[in-house]
Amino acid sequence: MGNDLNSAQLFAIGQIQVTLTVATTWGIMALLGLLSWISTRKSRTHPSYLQTAVEGIVSSIEAAIANAAPQHSKTLLPFIGTLWVYLALANLIGLVPGLDSPTRDISQTSALAILLFFSVHWFGIRSQGLKNYLRHYLTPSPILLPFHLISEATRTIALAIRLFGNMMSLEMAALLVLMVAGFLAPVPLLMLHVIEALVQAYIFGMLALIYVAGGMQSQDLHQQKEVDKENS
Amino acid sequence: MELNWSTFLLEILNFLILLWILKRFLYQPVLDTIANRQAGIEQTLANAQTIKTDAEALQSQYESRLKQWNEERDTARETLRREMAEERERQMLNLQEALAQEKEKARVIDEKERFDTLRKYQEASLELGARFTARLLTHLAGQDLEIRLFDLALRQLDTLPVDRLNAIRMACEETPEEAEVATAFPLKPAHRQQLAEKLSSLLDMPVNCHFVEDSELLAGLCITLGPWVFHANLQAELKSFAESAHEPN
Repeated sequence: MGNDLNSAQLFAIGQIQVTLTVATTWGIMALLGLLSWISTRKSRTHPSYLQTAVEGIVSSIEAAIANAAPQHSKTLLPFIGTLWVYLALANLIGLVPGLDSPTRDISQTSALAILLFFSVHWFGIRSQGLKNYLRHYLTPSPILLPFHLISEATRTIALAIRLFGNMMSLEMAALLVLMVAGFLAPVPLLMLHVIEALVQAYIFGMLALIYVAGGMQSQDLHQQKEVDKENS
Repeated sequence: MELNWSTFLLEILNFLILLWILKRFLYQPVLDTIANRQAGIEQTLANAQTIKTDAEALQSQYESRLKQWNEERDTARETLRREMAEERERQMLNLQEALAQEKEKARVIDEKERFDTLRKYQEASLELGARFTARLLTHLAGQDLEIRLFDLALRQLDTLPVDRLNAIRMACEETPEEAEVATAFPLKPAHRQQLAEKLSSLLDMPVNCHFVEDSELLAGLCITLGPWVFHANLQAELKSFAESAHEPN
């Protein structure tokens, strides 16, 4: 674990700097891609243990999404599921000696947050169209438009800072305890790291789900009200 | 802590690539597999439902058929019971009729046996009576009885029917011969003369009489003229009396 708040640069391709965070992410991508290919290359109706585990994970993610957005679980599964799976692995990768969690890099968490920011609008517009989606910023009153905009910005920043702060502080605390108390002392802290890593991944993914589902279902509610008004 | 734009952009790109990889190699295959399995389960459930529906239909059909069979069985049993009752009634009537016929036959046989027995007793009685009378008349027969029988013979000759007399007359004309008169006791000449004249007057032709004695006649006479035999004696009467037992009533 490094003690620098900025990730170390490994090499550069012109103006593009490849840091340890990016390299770790590539490793995670490779690992997840390989596991996915292995677990699904011989899918059968009567599954193996690995296939059963993978199907259980995917089904659980889909069920969690369906609880928040029942009508859009299939649509949101790739994005939200990838967030959960990637963040869980990225948070836990810091436990491997010599590696840092990519999520302790503000650049990485900011990238995820900005992706989520655009995803909320993307899914909302794709679900109901641009005009209907933008209309929800004016409801229930146009006066609330600034507050909507502030909310969009602050929650995105909060997502990035929350994940970064938690993971960075967690690794920093573990490093300090290790330096002060010796080799075996930070083991309980590392166990706490596991829990914290999973919790932070869950929180980030769940908030992302709620934001995206909120953007989609706000239009659903608005349309449902209009339909009820026409019927009455 | 500062934002590294290269890392920021590369991480965005990395996440999008990871999103595509997982969607391509994880979510879609797993969802397809689950959908296929769900479709298989639904197909199995549909098949099971179809089988259940068919089974219920078959059960209903079998129950209906069983009910129908029960009704047919009850009807057949009732018909059989009725036919058995009718057959029993018919058999009873036949049996009663046969029994009545047997009774009648037995009664007839019994009556015939009684009649035969009675007849046998009658014959035995008549034969016994005839023997007794013959033995008695053997001792009682005499000249006086001979004369009374002679007189009786003359009266019977007077009562012969005309066609009988004509038949005797025709027989005598074809083969004229003398009449043989057998008596148990010797006839007096006057009686012999009276008898010859009687025969001649009856037949309107002269009749020669040849008189013989035959003690077996006991008393009376026996006239034989050609094929005609006239009995007026005890032996013939007793014989006729004994033979009357064998005549039908």
